[in-house]
Amino acid sequence: MDNRKPVSQQAPSHYAYSSGAATATISPEGIVTGWSEGARRLLGYGAGDVLGRAAAELIDSYDAYDARGSLSEWGGGGPVVLRHRDGHLVQVALRCSPSLGADGGTRAFVVTATAAGEDAAAADVAAAVDATDVAPAEPGRPTPVPMSTPMVEWSHAQSPLAMSMFTRGPQGWRPEPDLSGDLPGEAAEEGFLRLVERVADEGAPMRHERTAPGLFSSRQQAWITEMWPVRDPATGEVCAVGTATFDNSEEHWARQRLALLNEAGTRIGSTLNVTRTAQELADLAVPRLADFVSVDLLDSVLRGQEPAAGPLDTTVALRRAAHQSTHEGAPEAAVPLGGLDAYPPFSPPARALASGKPLLSGVDDPEYLRWVTQDETRRERVEKFGFHSVMSAPLRARGITLGVAFFARRKGSKPFEQDDLVLAEELAGRAAVGVDNARRYTRERTNALTLQRSLLPRELPKQVAVEVAYRYLPAGSGAGVGGDWFDVVPLSGTRVALVVGDVVGHGLHASATMGRLRTAVRTLADVDLPPDELLTHLDDLVTHLTYDETIPEDLEMPSAAEIGATCLYAVYDPVSRVCTLASAGHPPPVVLYPDGRVGVVELSPGPLLGVGGLPFEATEVELPEGSLLAFYTDGLVEARDHDIGAGLDRLCQVLSSPVPSLEVTCDAVLKTLLPDTPADDVALLLARTRALHTDQVAAWSLPSDPAIVADARAQASRQLAVWGLQEAAFITELVVSELVTNAIRYGAVPIGLRLIRDRTLICEVSDASSTAPHLRRARAYDEGGRGLHMVAQLTQSWGTRQTSTGKTIWAEQPLPVD
Amino acid sequence: MTPTSSPTGTHTLGLVFPPAGRGRDYTNMQLAFIGGVAEAATTHDYDLLLSPADDAGDVSFRRMVEGGRVDGVIVMEIKLEDDRVEYLAGTGFPFVTIGRNGRADVTGWVDLDFAGLARGCVYHLADLGHRRIAFVNRSEQLFSSGYGSARLGLEGYTKAMAEQVLSPHAYLCDDDVTAGEAVLEQILLDDPATTSLVTLNEAALEGLYRGLTRHGRRVPRDFSIVGVAAGRWAERVEPQLTAAEIPAKEMSRVAVELILRRLTRPDAPPRHILLKPLISLRDSTGPCRPVPGSEPEREFPDLDRFPDLPNLPDLPDLPDLPDAGF
Repeated sequence: MDNRKPVSQQAPSHYAYSSGAATATISPEGIVTGWSEGARRLLGYGAGDVLGRAAAELIDSYDAYDARGSLSEWGGGGPVVLRHRDGHLVQVALRCSPSLGADGGTRAFVVTATAAGEDAAAADVAAAVDATDVAPAEPGRPTPVPMSTPMVEWSHAQSPLAMSMFTRGPQGWRPEPDLSGDLPGEAAEEGFLRLVERVADEGAPMRHERTAPGLFSSRQQAWITEMWPVRDPATGEVCAVGTATFDNSEEHWARQRLALLNEAGTRIGSTLNVTRTAQELADLAVPRLADFVSVDLLDSVLRGQEPAAGPLDTTVALRRAAHQSTHEGAPEAAVPLGGLDAYPPFSPPARALASGKPLLSGVDDPEYLRWVTQDETRRERVEKFGFHSVMSAPLRARGITLGVAFFARRKGSKPFEQDDLVLAEELAGRAAVGVDNARRYTRERTNALTLQRSLLPRELPKQVAVEVAYRYLPAGSGAGVGGDWFDVVPLSGTRVALVVGDVVGHGLHASATMGRLRTAVRTLADVDLPPDELLTHLDDLVTHLTYDETIPEDLEMPSAAEIGATCLYAVYDPVSRVCTLASAGHPPPVVLYPDGRVGVVELSPGPLLGVGGLPFEATEVELPEGSLLAFYTDGLVEARDHDIGAGLDRLCQVLSSPVPSLEVTCDAVLKTLLPDTPADDVALLLARTRALHTDQVAAWSLPSDPAIVADARAQASRQLAVWGLQEAAFITELVVSELVTNAIRYGAVPIGLRLIRDRTLICEVSDASSTAPHLRRARAYDEGGRGLHMVAQLTQSWGTRQTSTGKTIWAEQPLPVD
Repeated sequence: MTPTSSPTGTHTLGLVFPPAGRGRDYTNMQLAFIGGVAEAATTHDYDLLLSPADDAGDVSFRRMVEGGRVDGVIVMEIKLEDDRVEYLAGTGFPFVTIGRNGRADVTGWVDLDFAGLARGCVYHLADLGHRRIAFVNRSEQLFSSGYGSARLGLEGYTKAMAEQVLSPHAYLCDDDVTAGEAVLEQILLDDPATTSLVTLNEAALEGLYRGLTRHGRRVPRDFSIVGVAAGRWAERVEPQLTAAEIPAKEMSRVAVELILRRLTRPDAPPRHILLKPLISLRDSTGPCRPVPGSEPEREFPDLDRFPDLPNLPDLPDLPDLPDAGF
């Protein structure tokens, strides 16, 4: 190679890189496995003619090549004479390089043939470009294909590769006009030139991939540019940079589809929400797969029910779960979100549903045209946006058809291809699994919530002691239903019981336990037990529940005691304005006084329910009229980011800011204290106390003297006259007479008589003895006393309750209707 | 019977009602009665003529009766010996009284059972565990002039205390705040362990409250007060007074009905209406909390500390002490 001159000193030539380079790959056994366009031009055989044949058949003569020997023995290459298809001989210089597998073994050989002309310089250039040792063609051998400049130019022009040569000029690296073919896209722009410069500086080859919007909005065009430094063989200096660019769009698209599928795995089904999953499918497919996507689901699926198995083959009514478009707001949609639409059996979506297979369709399908022209809206939309190619893919999971996804490309986009259909089917399949999971979760959750709602009060009973507002919020995602509950129970004498409780844990079991506790509290409240005593009974009940429970071992359900349950029970008396509270491990209520003071009611926390044996303590608080009590469960004040103290402080703050109504206060409390998706369920019960005044209550002290009975009767009668309730006087006098007589005869001093005028007229007689009818509601003969029997007959209801100083017997009669 | 007494006569009733307050002004209670009588008379289509006479010699009183200006007379604030009643009875002029006196058997009247009320008050306090119960009566002047309610009240109190085997401590008190404060001072001086009192003197009540406050006794925690008072008035003090109400309106109505009945059926025997209102429970009474150190020896009473009980029989023989704690 002594005769080589530096390239820079040579006349520019189109030999710089032979786009006509004939390349072939040959298996180690000598069979042709690859055939390039250059090879076709060199020898006239098409790939189909040559592939699978022995490479040796192409060789006319080669000194060093033993056609029967192996290529590996042949070595690096050398001049060889090949035979053209038309019979003439072609003298070329062959270069052979082994292509290695991962184990280092030879998989194939790549053979490049360079036309060996008389122009040694050309060979030199080629050699310089390839940076390999190619022996010059043997002098004296005829050259069947003479090399000429026009031919090199043709070669450039016809090459699938766009090749260029960049040299450094006064303005930096620029393409050499004579040596550069048409550069696709903006290859000559500044960014590209920087890359060229980098290749020159680093002296190392580089691969550059570039994408640009193609002719169709849905498809990108991609090019790969190979760049390599061109060194002066003499000096080794980089004197130019060669580039070869080829269209890589198909591979790019294939990679994009793969990426889309991969992304579908992570993006579709990220939540357990049916419509959200459908929307994720639509969002993912636009614009990468289609210009418009709609997802329609069976109505039953959206309601969380189990649809019938198998394909659907009649006119199907589907609900639009999601759609997405490259246009803002999806103006293409003929059906609004949540809207119901029927697909006639011949329409592509219905056909896909019926067959259970994806379907490619478009303007060349008469049934598609029939479908889109049948409906006025649909025809108008299809015409306006020019949907010419559509795909319908059924959403199927576990053999059940859940709905159908519809993909469309509009005017200006390429029609869908078979590859797209496969992709659509795959995406629909992923979405179907997500939708099915979400559907089943929805059903479970709906069932659990239904159960819990049925266990919580729907409408609180009417009573006048307090004005109430309440909220129950189930826990946010995943955690399921909980065991929080609250209740308002009207008691005798216009008092009211306010209850809030919490069965720790989530799920149906917590809800069921909550339901049992709530019923128990109602029952115990109905016999009018004082708060501490009520909790003692409730505690017993929970303990018994624990013993009674025979839980199958395969169901890992915690027992009531293991769950841990808390309860706060408060009784407010609007006559005395005293609230008596007892707590079983429940957080204390917050009270806002009418003067604006706010604070936590201090009470003995008490043991959790089911612990047993420990006493509960009752606390009495006198509340001015209009005080606001806030009962809540720990979910309201406890959160991951702050402790219960901070939560209570915030609750106090919200309560003390003035708001027009309890309902608004409820909302404000929840908004301030809770994140968007609370981790625990939350119950909140607000009660603003009312007070009964002297125009509604009258109370007297009675000496234990039978003579007082007549006075008591007269006094009651006088009071009724003051209240304008003379009509009730007859019964009231009888009741007073009986109850007072009983109290004097069997009870202990002090004896009190009280009349309350509320929604009913209540007559109460209390004494200091606790031995009278206790925990029992009168059946006709229970007490035996004719007096009580008569009271029971005359009044709407009657009962007894224990007090801290004895007992009270009460009787209620309806107020005369005005 | 004079012709003017005919029911078809003047269609006017006379109300003889001397002001009882200091400086001869009408108390709220009296005004309530006057209003009540006027209202009740109006419903029967009668007018009312008022005379502030406290004795029979009063000019307006004589004019009313002798001039035949009214058909019948209602007399109030009567004393045990009342010359107005004597005069009317002597002339045979139709009259009834609100309150009663020595001639109660022969006159028509409506009255409160003050003895019963005072007794009820004592029982109420005793039921709450109080043992040292004082009594605050009306003024000495009213009392000595034979004022019915004051005498009957004291009678009922004393009787009830005896029934409860307790020693009575009764005090007279002028109808004003200062007197009330002074009386309370005296009560606590006489027996610092006193935990409760019964009062008929509504005008002195505020003074009693003040005195208690000054002694650091909180009502009803440390000291209970029960009284006889008009409902509205009892609700105006803080804490509201547990009291038997004086049903002024009802008594007025009954008095008018009695006099009209007397006019229509002059020969019928006189009717007597005795009202016994109950004690309305409000906020001024509570369970007894003995004054610290005052009653350590319940089981072994030190008789020297009970100077008012010298005449009682030996304590162990007491038949029915209500305190079951023995």
